[in-house]
Amino acid sequence: MNSVFWALVRKDLYLLRGFMVAMLGSGILGIVIMALGSTVGLAGASLAVGGILFLTANVAGGIFLASYALLSDRKELTRLFALTLPISGPRYDQAKLLGGYLAFLIPWAALTVLVLVPSLLPGGVRGMVVYALVIQCFVLALFSVVMGTLFVVTTEAASGIMILTVNILFSLFMVSINQPPIIEPMKTAQITWTPFALWMLAGEFVVICASMVFTTSVIARRRDHI
Amino acid sequence: MNTLPAAEAFSLQGLRRSFRYFTLEDISLSLPLGQIMGLVGPNGAGKSTTIRLLLGLIAPEAGEIEVLGHRMPGDAAAAKREVAFVSDDMRLFGTATIGWHLRFMASLYPHWDQAYAAQLLKRFNLRDEQLVKGLSRGEHVKAMLLLALARRPRLLVLDEPTSGLDPVARHELLTELMEIVRDESRSILFSSHQTQDVERISDQIAFIDRGRLVDARDKENFLERWRRLSVDIPVGVRLPELPGVVDLTLGERFATLTTDRYDGDIEARLVAAGAIIHEVQRMSLEEIFVASVMRSRQQVKS
Repeated sequence: MNSVFWALVRKDLYLLRGFMVAMLGSGILGIVIMALGSTVGLAGASLAVGGILFLTANVAGGIFLASYALLSDRKELTRLFALTLPISGPRYDQAKLLGGYLAFLIPWAALTVLVLVPSLLPGGVRGMVVYALVIQCFVLALFSVVMGTLFVVTTEAASGIMILTVNILFSLFMVSINQPPIIEPMKTAQITWTPFALWMLAGEFVVICASMVFTTSVIARRRDHI
Repeated sequence: MNTLPAAEAFSLQGLRRSFRYFTLEDISLSLPLGQIMGLVGPNGAGKSTTIRLLLGLIAPEAGEIEVLGHRMPGDAAAAKREVAFVSDDMRLFGTATIGWHLRFMASLYPHWDQAYAAQLLKRFNLRDEQLVKGLSRGEHVKAMLLLALARRPRLLVLDEPTSGLDPVARHELLTELMEIVRDESRSILFSSHQTQDVERISDQIAFIDRGRLVDARDKENFLERWRRLSVDIPVGVRLPELPGVVDLTLGERFATLTTDRYDGDIEARLVAAGAIIHEVQRMSLEEIFVASVMRSRQQVKS
């Protein structure tokens, strides 16, 4: 890994810092709303509003970060400038991939830790740690799919279809995970790894790995870099 | 990695690359160190494709590319340490300032010339704190040129760099380019459809049209070989067979002929045949370019 590679990764983190701060800020606001609601007797409403804000920050943040990192690089013609730097085409794409992942993973990891805190505090429903982890890993898997797809598709129409599909998938997932037979076994005082949770986490792990393998193989096989 | 000292800034041999509606074919070109080559062609001729192949941004289907002793595209990263490229369809990062770009580039290039960058910043009337997205088209081009020039590259590749520049900025840029090649180890490849710019600064000229190299040689050779002759033809006189006639317009008593193999012999043969040479005109690079392209297209058709 040479210095140009890391300079390009740092460059992406610098240019994406606005999106990262926005994702982190709105996610934290969602957590605060969820936490405050229960103290003023509006637990149901605050859980809904804060939860939606938190999940939107995660999902939309991922889509915005991936789109800005990859699509705008092509659309705003900055890719040609970056490719004049002393780095090969595949290494540039690898730097782009790592920069995009880090830009997402930093706020995602912070939000994941923060959203687990209320469940881990004394009196918290510890079983919800598993629930939150399954959701957050699903978001990470979707982000991986978005990144992989945006490395391949070049048209705005295809990107739009992919983003729409991701939103539909996430909505279906949220409907499924909130079905009583699935969520109720997780609402325990202790952390309980239900079969559903374990299967979901395993599936999410496979999707994340497959997306990364797919993306890196696309990068390695690409002969034209512009 | 080839690290042998290069005798040429670049060499392209038998390049071929096809796209759905366009094929670049049989491009062979080379540029000696310390010279400027003007790559001239109409829009869509293949200038940008040739440059992208040269820089390893796209891969050829056939042919060989060497840049400053580096085989491309395999050794592109090493070659690009010594090459700078500015293109009309390239943009800097809109949400960053010029100062950020200067620091970014300085961190990547060991030979970055900070004093020269500061001097160019002043000369181009740019400021450190200016956001790239707020720059005018001309300012943007100047900023890209600044970032390319302060790398002190051994090969500077410019794809239509003067489009979008006002006449004063264009003059400044061309003067700067001529200054760069005073150092005989530095070379420039300069693509343009503005033949005046190319004629002003180039040592070597290559014409490209519809994906094919029409002609390539040194500028003086071009300008010396091409002439337009206006000839009066008295009654009963027939024009002799002449070498290198690219275009011939015949009137009843008058003819205009364009040749790319002008020498004293042509005039002597015309006079010997009884024709009266009215005028021998030197041709501008633009006229030579148009005549070359028209001939090439006719040859392809036939």
